[in-house]
Amino acid sequence: MIKLTNVTKVFNKNRPNEFTAVRNVDLEISGSSITVFKGPSGSGKTTLLSLIGCMTKPTTGRIYIREEEISSLSDRFLTDIRRKTFGFIFQGLNLIRGITALENVMLPGYPTGETNCILRGKAIHLLASLNIAHKAESKVELLSGGEAQRIAIARALINEPAIIIADEPTAHLDTRLSIDFMDNMEKLKNSGKKILLASHDPLVYASEIVDRIIEMRDGLITKEQA
Amino acid sequence: MLWIERQRYFIDFALSSLMRRWRKNIALVIVYTLVVFILASIVFFTQAIKREACTVLEGSPDIIVQRLVAGRQDLIPARYADELRKITGVSEVRGRLWAYYFDPASSANYTVISTERPGRDEGCVLMGQGVARSMHAGKGDLIAIRGHDGSYQSFEVKDTFSSGSELVSADLIEMSGKDFRGLFGIQEAYFTDITMKVRNAQERTVVSRKVLNILPDTRPILRDEILRTYETAFAWRSGILLIIFTGSILAFLIFAWDKATSLSIEEKREIGILKAIGWDTGEVIVLKSWEGLIISLSSFLAGIIFAYIHVFFASSTIFEPVLKGWAVVYPRFRLVPSIDPYQITTLLFLTVLPYTIATIIPSWIASAIEPDSAMRL
Repeated sequence: MIKLTNVTKVFNKNRPNEFTAVRNVDLEISGSSITVFKGPSGSGKTTLLSLIGCMTKPTTGRIYIREEEISSLSDRFLTDIRRKTFGFIFQGLNLIRGITALENVMLPGYPTGETNCILRGKAIHLLASLNIAHKAESKVELLSGGEAQRIAIARALINEPAIIIADEPTAHLDTRLSIDFMDNMEKLKNSGKKILLASHDPLVYASEIVDRIIEMRDGLITKEQA
Repeated sequence: MLWIERQRYFIDFALSSLMRRWRKNIALVIVYTLVVFILASIVFFTQAIKREACTVLEGSPDIIVQRLVAGRQDLIPARYADELRKITGVSEVRGRLWAYYFDPASSANYTVISTERPGRDEGCVLMGQGVARSMHAGKGDLIAIRGHDGSYQSFEVKDTFSSGSELVSADLIEMSGKDFRGLFGIQEAYFTDITMKVRNAQERTVVSRKVLNILPDTRPILRDEILRTYETAFAWRSGILLIIFTGSILAFLIFAWDKATSLSIEEKREIGILKAIGWDTGEVIVLKSWEGLIISLSSFLAGIIFAYIHVFFASSTIFEPVLKGWAVVYPRFRLVPSIDPYQITTLLFLTVLPYTIATIIPSWIASAIEPDSAMRL
């Protein structure tokens, strides 16, 4: 379960360019489901996902992951939680160029010290399940948008996280690839994962597989649809 | 096992990161290697030649007594040896015959000595490897040496020296006393100088003072004084070279500092990605340390190997005129290869450590920010 109580995030606090990205958000997300955060650019979707994903700390308020209050934990513990609990798919995919697709997928597993044989096996299995195993040894900069998207999904899954966070995952995909992406999300949901998506793409938030839509504007949750 | 596996992943990834930025890193490795090569060559050469000097002096007498006539060294009468034997504490006194000989054919100076070893054949010589090389002579060959009266005398090369130190024997020609006196025109009643051995090493200075009292026209030279002269001469020469190369070393430091302390946008982005996908600050620093270590260690090893080859197998060709000084007119000699772990450690700390630390600082700053901020770069 994910629970946020009265969470606010202020950037550049006490500076002339101070900016409040998220304001007094209260939220609870439980069970294997797909939740979409919908709203225009600058509405606070990405910041809220970063807060939930332990990538940044709230300025005020508390965040609970599986009953554990994480907002006051040190960076070291937050990293540990992030590594074990979350898998991230970024808007720009953020794959590392110059290395192969397989190496990109294995990258989050390096600090865990899992043996190369096991880690490699897991990565190949994930690539195969996303029908991209044939591109395992290709450099990521040579892949198409859809292929790179699947590599990013595989990378998000390598540490077997319970929660997948995707920020504007279909922003650079055409309709067919966006549908493919949602199909993959459905598979993950069915395998018991909790999925949090930030998107203003109708192909995402209007999809039948979405369980909950949370609308945001100016850092506030303005509307919820189940 | 877990730790080893993690380090293996970090090293693999560090290598692949370096390969991705190969242009920048190759340039860095070349300049880095050059600087280590220069430093190591100077250190190796200076130390090796000092060691050779020590080897030479190991078997040398405690005191050498020369005769001075109007401040110039002259032949010493053999009867002086009897006077010196009378000094308390002296265990051995021997007359020596030696001279420098310039060979116009090979444009080299040789040291001709005579030893009164039993069985030393007249008309035969033993020679050092350096002499053999410059005279193109070997065992069984005949060589001609010009005597004091202008006539040439021929000698058969009986053998060449095989010494642990080429500096000891490289320029040496050894012949019988009779041949020597005949060649240089020295009468039986004279020697070039006289050597002394003193029973108690603590009494060398006292004995030296007594020599001056008994024979005021002589100059006693202590072994320690010779050693000090060698050390000063070569320390001074290596210092001169270091000053000459300080400019290039400084240029390297600026270059390395610039390369090591500035991260490109791409590198910052990579650090952000690594943090976002679950790496912590410590792990990013370990990765960057490996990158720094790979660069600095490989450059260090290459520099050391090149310096080793340069000093011990190529006779320090590049720095020879500065380092050897007047010795370059001697037959060429090769230094005996050896490595002092203390020197290697010192060089390692002077070159590898600063660079590795310099690479960590910007990575630490870049990785200390929240992954969320890093992702927005």
